[in-house]
Amino acid sequence: MTWIASFPDAVKKLNPGTLWRNPVMLIVEAGAVFTTVLAILEPGVFAWAIVVWLWLTVLFANLAEAVAEGRGKAQAATLRATKRDTMAVRVSGERVSATELRQGDEVVVVAGEVIPGDGDVIEGIASVDESAITGESAPVIRESGGDRSAVTGGTKVLSDRIVVRITQKPGESFVDRMIALVEGANRQKTPNEIALNILLAALTIIFLVATVTMQPMAVWAKGANPGIPDSLALTGDGVSGIVLVSLLVCLIPTTIGALLSAIGIAGMDRLVRRNVLAMSGRAVEAAGDVSTLLLDKTGTITLGNRQAAEFLPVSGVGEHELAEAAQLSSLADETPEGRSIVVFAKEHYGLRERDVHDAEWVPFTAQTRMSGVNVGGREIRKGAATAVMKWVRDHGGHPTEQVGAIVDAISGSGGTPLVVAQKDQVLGVVHLKDTVKPGMRERFDEMRRMGIRTVMITGDNPLTAKAIADEAGVDDFLAEATPEDKLALIRREQEGGRLVAMTGDGTNDAPALAQSDVGVAMNTGTSAAKEAGNMVDLDSNPTKLIEIVEIGKQLLITRGALTTFSIANDIAKYFAIIPAMFAAVYPGLDALNVMRLDSPQSAILAAVIFNALVIVALIPLALRGVQYRPSSASKLLSRNLLVYGLGGIVAPFVGIKLIDLLIAGIV
Amino acid sequence: MGWLFILSLIVALALVYRVLGDHMHRVYTGTKHNAVERVVYRLLGVQPGNEQRWGAYARSLLAFSIVSIFFVYALQRLQDRLWLSLGFAPVPDHIAWNTAISFVTNTNWQAYSGENTMGHLTQMAALAVQNFVSAAVGMAVAIALVRGFARRNSDTIGNFWVDLVRGTLRILLPIAFVGALVLVAGGVVQNFAGPHEITTLTGNVQNVTGGPVASQEAIKELGTNGGGFYNTNSAHPYENPTAWTNWFEIFLILLIPVALTRTFGRMVGQVRQGYAILAVMGVIAVASIVLTNVFELAGNATVPQAVGAAMEGKDVRFGVANSATFAAATTLTSTGAVNSFHDSYTPFGGMMTLFDMMLGEVAPGGVGAGLYGMLILAVITVFVAGLMVGRTPEYLGKKIGSREIKLASLYFLVTPVLVLVGTAVAMGNAAGLAAMLNSGPHGFSEILYAFTSASNNNGSAFGGVTVNTPWYDVALGMCMVLGRFLPIIFVLALAGSLARQTPVPESAGTLPTHRPQFVGLVVGVTIVLVALTFLPALALGPIAEGLL
Amino acid sequence: MNRLPSWIRQHLAALRAVAVLTVILGVAYPLVTTGVAQAVFNGNANGNPALIGQSFTDADGDPVAKYFQSRPSAGGYDMLATAAGNLGPEDVLDTLPVPGAVDDEGHPDTGKQSLLTQVCARSAAIGHLEGVSGARPYCTPDGVGAVLKLFPALGTPTRAVSVNQACPAQPFVATYQGVTVECGKPGEDYSAGRTVPIRGDVTAVVPPDAVTASASSLDPHISVAYAELQAPAWPGSAACPSTG
Repeated sequence: MTWIASFPDAVKKLNPGTLWRNPVMLIVEAGAVFTTVLAILEPGVFAWAIVVWLWLTVLFANLAEAVAEGRGKAQAATLRATKRDTMAVRVSGERVSATELRQGDEVVVVAGEVIPGDGDVIEGIASVDESAITGESAPVIRESGGDRSAVTGGTKVLSDRIVVRITQKPGESFVDRMIALVEGANRQKTPNEIALNILLAALTIIFLVATVTMQPMAVWAKGANPGIPDSLALTGDGVSGIVLVSLLVCLIPTTIGALLSAIGIAGMDRLVRRNVLAMSGRAVEAAGDVSTLLLDKTGTITLGNRQAAEFLPVSGVGEHELAEAAQLSSLADETPEGRSIVVFAKEHYGLRERDVHDAEWVPFTAQTRMSGVNVGGREIRKGAATAVMKWVRDHGGHPTEQVGAIVDAISGSGGTPLVVAQKDQVLGVVHLKDTVKPGMRERFDEMRRMGIRTVMITGDNPLTAKAIADEAGVDDFLAEATPEDKLALIRREQEGGRLVAMTGDGTNDAPALAQSDVGVAMNTGTSAAKEAGNMVDLDSNPTKLIEIVEIGKQLLITRGALTTFSIANDIAKYFAIIPAMFAAVYPGLDALNVMRLDSPQSAILAAVIFNALVIVALIPLALRGVQYRPSSASKLLSRNLLVYGLGGIVAPFVGIKLIDLLIAGIV
Repeated sequence: MGWLFILSLIVALALVYRVLGDHMHRVYTGTKHNAVERVVYRLLGVQPGNEQRWGAYARSLLAFSIVSIFFVYALQRLQDRLWLSLGFAPVPDHIAWNTAISFVTNTNWQAYSGENTMGHLTQMAALAVQNFVSAAVGMAVAIALVRGFARRNSDTIGNFWVDLVRGTLRILLPIAFVGALVLVAGGVVQNFAGPHEITTLTGNVQNVTGGPVASQEAIKELGTNGGGFYNTNSAHPYENPTAWTNWFEIFLILLIPVALTRTFGRMVGQVRQGYAILAVMGVIAVASIVLTNVFELAGNATVPQAVGAAMEGKDVRFGVANSATFAAATTLTSTGAVNSFHDSYTPFGGMMTLFDMMLGEVAPGGVGAGLYGMLILAVITVFVAGLMVGRTPEYLGKKIGSREIKLASLYFLVTPVLVLVGTAVAMGNAAGLAAMLNSGPHGFSEILYAFTSASNNNGSAFGGVTVNTPWYDVALGMCMVLGRFLPIIFVLALAGSLARQTPVPESAGTLPTHRPQFVGLVVGVTIVLVALTFLPALALGPIAEGLL
Repeated sequence: MNRLPSWIRQHLAALRAVAVLTVILGVAYPLVTTGVAQAVFNGNANGNPALIGQSFTDADGDPVAKYFQSRPSAGGYDMLATAAGNLGPEDVLDTLPVPGAVDDEGHPDTGKQSLLTQVCARSAAIGHLEGVSGARPYCTPDGVGAVLKLFPALGTPTRAVSVNQACPAQPFVATYQGVTVECGKPGEDYSAGRTVPIRGDVTAVVPPDAVTASASSLDPHISVAYAELQAPAWPGSAACPSTG
């Protein structure tokens, strides 16, 4: 959506019924109406120029909002398409419209059909195309039971047949909420936005009072100097209405007032672009405030599976020999651990994968707790230490003390030992390690600089957990975590005044997700989890929590920066308008005309034009958000103060002078 | 000499800063009541152990103030029937009303001339008593707000009666007593003599009058009250006889407002936060004092140029510089005592005294009122700056949400609205305009000054304006009442809302509020907000006059 | 007691608080202070007359030459009517008395002297008394403020009036920017003109404190410069009456 396309919407928003939500701009509009009346009664080039630019000021503010909203509209249109004409088939075989479905209804969906509403699979398994919602084209598996049972209305079943129990209320489906969200419809103001609005209202009242009360003072000043002829700005009746309104509009915080809602919409939009749906703006804001981040170890901090990291032979056995045996035993092992042993042996010992004939593969079972191969008279086993040692003893071998020592050392470091043996001889131990994703330590350092504490949640024993925590660089960890522990941890943090963010996907995550201040549910997760959280990540990428926090902060920073800019602008406007109004009566006040503006009219007009144009100039910034680099609060403030505070003071001096030069050149 | 005078004041304040600040901390946080206090509480019929919610605290405060207004009014109206009236008639009703409000609100605006209006009993039992208790009320409110920051998950903010009694008996009374004796040593009068005549060296008759001046003078400065025993206030040789008593009176004015920042730091458990607030006050105060001195010493205006110095309305023993320093101190606080007459100051020197008051009297401000005013400005600063670091703003661990910013904004709105609306009404009204002594922009400055002074509870005057008319007594009385009690209610409500919160622990993401960066920011916000609010009015008054 | 509404209880407590505190602060405190002050600093506590300035004039109000003259006082050194002048730094325009006009009570019109003219007049008088030049910047030789009203208020003047010099006085300058300067006509409204004080090029001899009203109207001091100016007229002693 281009700006031009948003223009009609901007015009529609001139309706005071819409504008009342934005008191600052409502006052500008009232001023525009008032000056229009004055200009009609007493026409003049100056009067009409002011009138036009006051209307443009309101229009530009509306344009900012319209452009911000426009960006979501295209996406909403795509989503709406998925809602059209969906039919549902009840288990009884009855065909009904999707809109008639109620919570608890059960429907059958077969390959090629669109799922009629949000729900859980209660029977069957199917591959589902969720690209309409996630944008991801690869199909996903949805099956009854477990954590992958949730399906979303509007997605399409590609194979098989499933029975879905509807969990949504009519009209409140995930897609419905997404549409509302991306369109910014019935957007609720967030707590900080409300607070900022109050401050802006207070400033507006102050400037309104300062401007209105100036009138009797001006009347008296003019009367006390009867020799001074009337000027365009000041007569015996006081400052002219047009000039007074111009001053008021220039002083009230129109810049931030105009851009405030666009900033909010754009913030949500930035999340949507990262495939995150925030169910409320409040959650986005809370993300900026998060001081504790709970991260699941598996999948977020680590790659999620243990990998071979070392071959540790017992004395008398060569590393190479151990590697060969371990690889041989794993060739048919399709578990991630098994694959990693094959790959590690190849990469570090140059052992190629081999085609082995006549091999008898021994699969892993819960009883034997080991796997292996019998080939060419060799019997090789790998598995849990106790199980393999027992097997060796049963074959008449006598494992040395050394094995136990190696096993204990690996366990102590947080790794998983896998003992490899051949018949009556233990060859050595494979060290399996949970691998931390690359770049995580840097992210966590960054978090720390932002003042966010990271806590790793894992089901591992404390020893293993500590080792991973140390390697990843998180601040703390919760080992052997049960859902109850997790909930308790969140409550504890919150009692200490901290805001907690977490991700989750399982049904047993739901209470913790609900309790946390920012709960990001994975889209692959259960509907209970999605219902409990206040955000859904369509990519199901737990690492995204970090980006969400940054977006939350960026949203607040943008508001603060533009507020500062807006207020700082006023200084220059006073230097333009006050001498323009009063230098005729008190010629000494011309000393305040530090910009040496051409004439009172051009000074006032230049200030009004600058005031309007700065809104347009800042729309891209409002939509994009102020640049955010994770750093300490102190550094952030210094930088933003320099750019938006000092910049806000200087920019209008330059801008108003340039516009004045242009006006002087034209007239 | 003027610079040494300022420097020695700073050194002296630094020397007593910790001692007094820590003493006040003990006073307001201690749990023991001494024997005298226990008797007082029994006489009052209050339970000192009962903590109050903010609403109850505010109702007690308002009840006390309302009763005080009636009491002060009654004493003035009945003074001719009581002792020590010196033969003066009852104070006219509108002046008595204005004066009652003026002293109860710690404004001490004087629509009367003390030496020929008020009997000694009225001065002692009505006016001086309010000098104590109105100051103690200001301190109580400040302490209640600080408790709001310091407490966690608490519904209550203290007990008004305990804060009132302790502030009066343990802080103000002992210092005032010592201060009074120091002043007597310097030559301030302390007797019960009435008007009498003496014969001068040239055989003429001169009227002289005494009274319990020193006891009132000490608390007048210490409690940042400012209502003089005599009409010419601290310029009068029997109120302020020497250059060193002048120094001592400024010292008393600044003493409690400055030391309260230490108390604040101690109460919130971070002394450095107190230093930061002190630094904000210090930067503004020093800048203002220096500028006022510079403008007055430069003497840029027609009459001072003709004279050769801005000596009109100044006494020789103070000179231009030490008069300017007093003027800055009295307007930077809510004192309003004067040792020279601001009306005759140079345009920019006079503007500084106006601007000091427009700042909301926060550097260091009135006793208590300065601290709570400054904390409100810190809250507003934290709000904008806090957003700029990407978090919901918080100050001392307390979140500045919509309720907090609403109360802070309301607080901030009150005085500018009163000042500007009051001035505008006066300028558009014959009764208002009639009061002007001077013409041109200076006449306008007089009226702007009167409303600024009343609304900010300062009480000093651009002397020329004739304010003992019913119109001004009522208009300025309204400004004083609203300018005092509306902000107090908002501050107490804020205290209540902060006390309820669970504090957010500090982290690297928290905006540090004890560093020079924040100090600079609060200074900037304070000055910019005030300048933006009042620039049009100032442009038509002192700026127009100064740039003629 | 407890059955009373809480707001009444609050006000009763307030009433008692005002009473109790008045006894402590309004009666006991000043009495004790007076007692101690009288016991320890008796002289000071009863008012040291040396701290109070006075006028050293005779019954006709003329200076008595054997004393140092005090500063001008807006309150006439009357401790029952202390006051400052309170005129502003740009108070330069006099209202000239209209000859023959009377006010409501039949007193002749005295006009109103601006602060500038008061300064100039005092300077001229002291100069005369002490036998030195009473001239000052912004003052006319005849001792009023040297102020022109220019017409029109904006732009090149076509008319100039020395408004503080009542006709038929000789204006302190003959012409201003080529325009002949007129004397001021009492009763005429010059408010439409632009006010321009003229500095002139004289240096004042009479010191600042001598020509300005004090703050207290009881200022016991004069500057060293003013004392030195007066010293030749008062042989025999250098003692300053104010410190006596």
